[in-house]
Amino acid sequence: MSKVIVIDDEPFILMMIEDKLKKAKIDVTTLRESRNALAVIRQHKPELIILDWMMPELSGIDLCKMIKADPELKDIPIFMLTAKGQDSDEQQGIQCGVSRYITKPFSPRSLLEMVQETIGKS
Amino acid sequence: MFKTRIIYRFITVLLVFALMIVVPFSLSVVKQAQKMIEEEEKVEQVQSEEYRNMHREFTDRLVGQMLPFIFYILVLSFIMAIFFLRTLLISLKNLQKGSRALQEGRLDTRLPVISDDELGDVTRTFNDMAESLKNKTLELGKKDLYINAMLDPLWVVDIEDRVTDINPAFTRLFGYSRENMIGSSVYDFVDERNGSILRRQIEEMLDRGESSIYEMNVLSKNGVQIPVLISGSPIYSGDRIVAKIGVLKDFREQSSLRNDLQQSLDYIETIMDSIPDEIVVIDRNYRINMANRVSMLNAERDLTGELCHHALHGSSVPCWTNGFECPTQIVFSTGKTHKTVHEHLEPDGQKKYHEIIASPVTDPSGKVLHVIELLRDITDRMKSEEQIVQKNMELTALNNISSILNRSLKPDDIFAKVLDKMIEMLDMDGGGIFFLDEAAKEMTCQYHKGVSEDYVKMIGRIRLGDDVPGKVAVTGQLITTSDIAKDARIERSVMKHSGMRGYCCIPIKGKERIIGVFCLFSFQTHLFTVEEENILSAIGEMTGMALENIRLYERMRSLFEQQRNRWADEHQQLLHISGRLGAAVDIEDSMKQVLGLMKKVFRSDFVWMLSHDQGHNLLLRFATEVSEKEGTVVYPSDVSSIEKYALSKRHSVVVNDIRSEEKFYISQDVSSYHSAVAVPMFVGEKPVGVCSLYYSMHREFREEDLRFMEIITNMISVAIERSEFYARAGKEKELADTILQSVQEGIMTVDIGGRIISVNQAFEKMTGIRPERAITLPVCEVFRFSEENISFRLLLGESVEEAKQGISTTRSSAVTTLYGNRVPVTITSSPILDRNGVVTGIVNLVRDVSREKELDKMKTELIRSVSHEFRTPLSAIVGMTEMLLHGDVEDEKVNKYLGTIRNEGVRLSKMVTELLSIARIESGKETLKFSSLDLNELMKEITEAFGPLLSNKNAVLTYDLGGIRTIVADEGKLKQLLINFIDNSLTFSDEGCIINVAAKRHDAMLEISVTDNGWGIPDEDIAHLSERFYRGRHGDRVKGTGLGLALCQEILSMLNGSMSITSKLGEGTKITMSIPHREVP
Repeated sequence: MSKVIVIDDEPFILMMIEDKLKKAKIDVTTLRESRNALAVIRQHKPELIILDWMMPELSGIDLCKMIKADPELKDIPIFMLTAKGQDSDEQQGIQCGVSRYITKPFSPRSLLEMVQETIGKS
Repeated sequence: MFKTRIIYRFITVLLVFALMIVVPFSLSVVKQAQKMIEEEEKVEQVQSEEYRNMHREFTDRLVGQMLPFIFYILVLSFIMAIFFLRTLLISLKNLQKGSRALQEGRLDTRLPVISDDELGDVTRTFNDMAESLKNKTLELGKKDLYINAMLDPLWVVDIEDRVTDINPAFTRLFGYSRENMIGSSVYDFVDERNGSILRRQIEEMLDRGESSIYEMNVLSKNGVQIPVLISGSPIYSGDRIVAKIGVLKDFREQSSLRNDLQQSLDYIETIMDSIPDEIVVIDRNYRINMANRVSMLNAERDLTGELCHHALHGSSVPCWTNGFECPTQIVFSTGKTHKTVHEHLEPDGQKKYHEIIASPVTDPSGKVLHVIELLRDITDRMKSEEQIVQKNMELTALNNISSILNRSLKPDDIFAKVLDKMIEMLDMDGGGIFFLDEAAKEMTCQYHKGVSEDYVKMIGRIRLGDDVPGKVAVTGQLITTSDIAKDARIERSVMKHSGMRGYCCIPIKGKERIIGVFCLFSFQTHLFTVEEENILSAIGEMTGMALENIRLYERMRSLFEQQRNRWADEHQQLLHISGRLGAAVDIEDSMKQVLGLMKKVFRSDFVWMLSHDQGHNLLLRFATEVSEKEGTVVYPSDVSSIEKYALSKRHSVVVNDIRSEEKFYISQDVSSYHSAVAVPMFVGEKPVGVCSLYYSMHREFREEDLRFMEIITNMISVAIERSEFYARAGKEKELADTILQSVQEGIMTVDIGGRIISVNQAFEKMTGIRPERAITLPVCEVFRFSEENISFRLLLGESVEEAKQGISTTRSSAVTTLYGNRVPVTITSSPILDRNGVVTGIVNLVRDVSREKELDKMKTELIRSVSHEFRTPLSAIVGMTEMLLHGDVEDEKVNKYLGTIRNEGVRLSKMVTELLSIARIESGKETLKFSSLDLNELMKEITEAFGPLLSNKNAVLTYDLGGIRTIVADEGKLKQLLINFIDNSLTFSDEGCIINVAAKRHDAMLEISVTDNGWGIPDEDIAHLSERFYRGRHGDRVKGTGLGLALCQEILSMLNGSMSITSKLGEGTKITMSIPHREVP
């Protein structure tokens, strides 16, 4: 059972996060497409989801809303990892129930710390 | 002890009673006793002394015995009387005390009722009396209080008109004390005139027995006449009038108010009268309540009281009932100011325009009570507007005509076009051209418009001197008539009964003779203004000159034919001159060269052209070489010179030896020469100047040279004239442009009191506020219609205040317009200063800065998306380097990490480069560098550059340039475009793809297309390809900047080119760019 699911359309971002978290002995599942993400999440029931905002077909923020609307999944914490750096974007993210809003470029080390903190809590 | 007098009287009565009853009784008893004793003595005859003595003693003893009794009776009756009188006495005493108390003013005194007898009744009556006395006194006291407290003075006058009482207010107002007043006659306090008023009023009051109110002046103690309103009432006693009471109301305030009112009425009247426009105030019954002097002067009577429709339009019913627009009715129904322009004909046929501004006068509830109508005669303004329009039309027509004249050498063409233009310019219905055949003394219609062929057949031939065209051809004078059918000056004409009204006939003047006439007609009357007549004459002359020019030109050509050899090169040069002059707008520049050519053609040593000024001085205009500056007076008007002579004779002058001719003064500049030829220059009848050739040696000037010279000077004259005309037209246009420029921003002009004087159309357009809604309002009030305008009004107010101090400021704000949209604006307020530097008003410029704001927004949007697009590649660089530094990456993956960092870095740098290129093009800093280039070479170069990439992908790049080799283009830009297109093809294709570049001409364009057999583009992406950072469906398969095609689009628009993309998913893409084809010179 995976602990963290990462969804981003940028392969190198997925590679970085996967490498960093795996080194810290955290199970990671990466997804390049948001289209089927909900099904994967339902199947894995992860402890944390890391989402990119801007993805083709289904944006991260819409996916986040869908997760929060699902009674089984709504308690899973979500990190938004995005290039959208405006305050208004962050506001919108927080309103949709994002626990942490991280803007790119990001430090893999601090991301790991945040992940550990969140997983530890739950 | 007993203070009551009644007791003493009682005691006295008692004593008298005692003395009158008791003493006689006692004496009678004693006398009876003595008598009895004596009788007894007589009977008994007792003569003893002792017995006698005893008898005598008995009387004494009896008296002695009776006295105590009497005394006792007296005392007893007294005591009893006292006892019985006690209640009476107490009552009496109380009554006495009570009376005294009443007398002392203690009205509360009440007496106990002791007995139930008459005294008791008296006591009760006393008590009632005291009670009612108290009430009466209180009532009187109150009345006194009222009277004393009255603010209005009051006097009471007896039947003999003497003052019996006044109140303190009277003393306060008039200064007389009560003591002084009482007893004086009322007539002592008024002057003679007011006295008679008072007397009459009092008499009337007495007659009718009713109160009356009247106004008069009363003299105060210090001699001032105080206006009062007296309400006088008679005081009745029974049926009889015993006195009069008058309340005098201080009327000073009212009378000053009345004065003020009168003054303000006068003021309004003065203002109304001083306004040069007609003003009438109309009530709801359409009756004129007030009219100012101007309107009365115009109507020649007093309009007040008349019905407005009758007074102003002579109509017996309101105009709106007949379906006319009635501003008064509109204002009554809408309650809003209404502005309109009425056009009507005066009895003398003059067209008049009236601007009517009707404004409501409302009561506090908003009901319109009156309408103020301001009638402004704007005939002059409208006429000048019409004139401006007309002028512009004329200028345009003139421009067209002069360009036709200068361009065309076909006479028929010229005349037809000029006639058409003239008809268009003057809005005529038709016209024709008659040419004069001098030999046959006949005129024939060569061209006509707006008339039937049959009619032309009828009037097509006119004998010289007959009808209007014939006369004009003889006299050379323009004839115009507003209505030919009625014009008495034209006695006979076939046109009289043809239905034509406005008619004019313009001579076409050659240099020395009349060539023909233009005729224009209209089926309506048409008043030809002096201006129009001048223009028509000028056109006639210009056309004539042009024809003359053509004829001269033709003659010149025949001369050339005859002397082809000699003139061969000179002909070329002359054509050059004419070409120069024909196109010469900057006459100054080309004239020097023309003169140089003339010098060469005529083998002269010196050529100059002198122009003619208003004072008939000859000024140097152009010369081949001369020490003076242009504009210097060469020959003053009173000096005789060759040039002057030629001008005055109106023909060329040849002087073989200028020094031998003593009658001519020779300027220093030309004194060294020997011979001279002076050719006068005319445009129509107007002298323009003189052109002269000077020769150092003696020279015979041949006739044909002279004619040739005349042709050239003629051309020069027309060219100079035309250039001046252009200069004038240019200036006028500039002026019009300036005015147009200046009204792009909303302008509100306010007076020093902050009230709007005027707003311009741009302001109305911007805010939707109509001028009549704004004018005369305080500037901030105008924008009160929306709550959102509070801050705008505040800023505007500040701005205006500062401008009043002479400071110009600009503020940014936003205004909500009447249309309800919010427009960002800047307000610039500047003071209007008079000659002394005093601020007399403020001009507020309200500039719509939506466009700037939009641009700002676009910029922000771009920066936002740029920063956003940069974040992803930066993630690779920042995040991956961090991981590499911390040793988080396994060895076998290090290269992959470094590769990603490098790729993302390159992508970032490419983005920056492309963005900068776009920015450079957008800011206009990028310039085009055209050079001739070999397209084949360029393609070779590009193919080589793509070499490694192509072989990596096993791809083939071919090109087919369709025989196009050398072109003129900006090589850098073209290369950038091609590289971008080929790179796209290569990127979005599988291995082994084929890319073909093809070029071909398509009309004036050069089309280069890049075709590939790659993945193709989905339809939904095609429309967005030129958007910045747009990456289509394939964007996630391959990395890119999303800027390539956006940059291409920018480059192409800079090159005045375009691009088109056709693509089919899975089959390939064809991208075609199209740029203007430039020939190699």
